[in-house]
Amino acid sequence: MRHPERAAASVAKAFKFGLKGITGYLEPAERDLLRGLLDDVISMLDSDARDNEDPLAALIGLDMDVKKPSDRALLRLLPNVLKDDDDGSLEFRQLTERSVRESKVGALRATAMGLDKDELVLTLEDATRWSMALNDVRLVLSERLDIRDEADAEHIHSMQDWSQAEDVESYLALVYNFTTWLQESLVQAMISARQAKS
Amino acid sequence: MSPSVAFGTDIDERTETAEQSSTGVLTAPDIPWNLVIWNDPVNLMSYVSYVFQSYFGYSESKAHKLMMEVHKKGRSIVAHGSKEQVEQHAVAMHGFGLWATVEKAASGNETPGKGGRQRG
Repeated sequence: MRHPERAAASVAKAFKFGLKGITGYLEPAERDLLRGLLDDVISMLDSDARDNEDPLAALIGLDMDVKKPSDRALLRLLPNVLKDDDDGSLEFRQLTERSVRESKVGALRATAMGLDKDELVLTLEDATRWSMALNDVRLVLSERLDIRDEADAEHIHSMQDWSQAEDVESYLALVYNFTTWLQESLVQAMISARQAKS
Repeated sequence: MSPSVAFGTDIDERTETAEQSSTGVLTAPDIPWNLVIWNDPVNLMSYVSYVFQSYFGYSESKAHKLMMEVHKKGRSIVAHGSKEQVEQHAVAMHGFGLWATVEKAASGNETPGKGGRQRG
């Protein structure tokens, strides 16, 4: 896992908790970047939608054609539920994967729509959806960046200077660090909001 | 283990499922399935702890302890229950982006009841 102090290295805070609730501000370029990332993950999760599927099965959320994802990033979003049992996990996927995909896409879409405003004002429920969406974006980026262990994560985290963005990998690393910073800032605001409620 | 968990009015909608399904009819020794959370280098410690608090209704200290166990030992049993209960939790955890699996209590290394009896 990532340590909060490491992730919060940047001085600025995207989100804070105050009288208006959880508020945040992102630059227009940051919002565009984030919208693109959210759309990418939405299309990954939505891409398997089939036209000719059994409408009754769809209605009750079953998906008998589901497979274990071959893409590692997608597998990280939709992991096996049994550790060393692909068959058992597949049975579970048939019953549940559709609803997991739908709830993820719902959170990603809600977050993307929320980006249309300059100043972000979030309820705790909004913020929860945001944090889930940001987490999924980070999981996908981490697979693209091949982050396998804490040492990999440290290496990626050390890249903070946008003037270093010379190739795709370094650019992705900076994007990853931006989303990490954003999520950490949001979760800290959510923790404050929760404490204030209790 | 925290002796009690403050269940106030601050339970968000997400917690309701957990609450309904975990209302303890079964006691720890009777409960045959574990929900396991695995470590990964991506998920933020603060986020994991927050999810344990908001979804399971665990106290901050219990959530932190479980999160640290995931971080240091690579995995932690964060809840147990019937197969259906822990599967429902696993779906929720996957929704949050946490790497969760379910297992029969006997196959784990941890003593049942040690890491995650529902609601402390």
